Amino acid sequence: MSRVVPLEAALELSRFGAKAVGLGQALRDGLPVPSGFALAADLVEAVAGGDDDAIAEVLVAVGGLDGPLAVRSSAIDEDGVAASFAGQHLTLLNVPSLEALAEALRAVWWSANSDAAISYRKRVGLFSRPSVGVVVQTLLSPVSAGVMFTRHPVTGADERVIEASWGLGEAVVAGLVIPDHICLDRAGQVRECRPGYKAVAIRPLAGGGTQEEKLPPELVEQLCLDEAQLLALNRLALRCEEVYGPGRDLEWAFADGTLVLLQCRAITKAGP
Amino acid sequence: MRGAPVEVLQRVPLFADLSLEELQQIALLFKERDFEAGETIIQEGSGGSAFYVIEAGEATVSIHGTPHSTLGAGDFFGEIALIDDGTRMATITAASRLDCYGLTYWDFRPLVEANGVIGWKLLQRMAMMLRDARGG
Repeated sequence: MSRVVPLEAALELSRFGAKAVGLGQALRDGLPVPSGFALAADLVEAVAGGDDDAIAEVLVAVGGLDGPLAVRSSAIDEDGVAASFAGQHLTLLNVPSLEALAEALRAVWWSANSDAAISYRKRVGLFSRPSVGVVVQTLLSPVSAGVMFTRHPVTGADERVIEASWGLGEAVVAGLVIPDHICLDRAGQVRECRPGYKAVAIRPLAGGGTQEEKLPPELVEQLCLDEAQLLALNRLALRCEEVYGPGRDLEWAFADGTLVLLQCRAITKAGP
Repeated sequence: MRGAPVEVLQRVPLFADLSLEELQQIALLFKERDFEAGETIIQEGSGGSAFYVIEAGEATVSIHGTPHSTLGAGDFFGEIALIDDGTRMATITAASRLDCYGLTYWDFRPLVEANGVIGWKLLQRMAMMLRDARGG
């Protein structure tokens, strides 16, 4: 049984984790997910332990990916709580080369065993061995990126809520900017549009890792999405709801003129 | 490389009574872990599951916010978490880049449960450490 599979072949939650299987399903359903590979949790642990055969297995399998790489943790579903592990496990953007991949996998494995992760697990009543799969993809360098809820995450209203900023979406997720805030109705018409204050963008660094780049003044309050891009996001929301049902929490990016889906999960808390 | 060098573990008092073969078994369970300067490794009061031995670099220890001591190569911390699942008793922060080997509760416990000899030696050592602590 292969421990590294193309994302579209990641089927088993217990081996590859929720993110990998979710992205694999999205690819199988024709959603615009960047291709990549899913690494099983036991392989990640073996690499973290310095097992040379495991490291070679990874490097051979993902050798076709162009660097730099995005290495994302994919928590194994334990008693249905994996969905709430958001933010507990590490994602490493811009791993510069295959040579650096083993170290990145070790860092992801340890993130599941960090004191912060263990404290979190205890709070949710889970004190058991953590297990984490990994998704490896070519890193995008998006012009803009962000999150989108296919219905309002607080009120439950039937509208798309988009939060967007320049560069990698981590600026939004990590709260480094006040993102553009846009609400669309189901037809894609703008209901609300509030430009944010985006003083920085997160960009890949040439030697690996990312940096906060100060943005020129004219971009700070300029909307980072145009009308055509909003319509594309609305189409993506519709398609995700067709595939997965209502109430989705998406991460997306526009790179090289194309909209890509980076994550699609259920909204963990939505209103009535 | 798989695991930690045995000679690093030979300096850890908790493992002082173990034979070379027993140490080799434990050494294989360790995984490398590196920290950047300024990174908090363990936080007083938080949950924890791993024990660390420092291979290179320095770390500071503080308790209730007060600096307590400095750790360097060959020093170790977090060993109580290997035995119980209680909260951390101190905050450890990397003072420089820190290269460590870490062993988790999940890896250590099955070995001890399966090997009564190792378990007994650890128990004796813990009792000795307790006596020393009580003796001041």
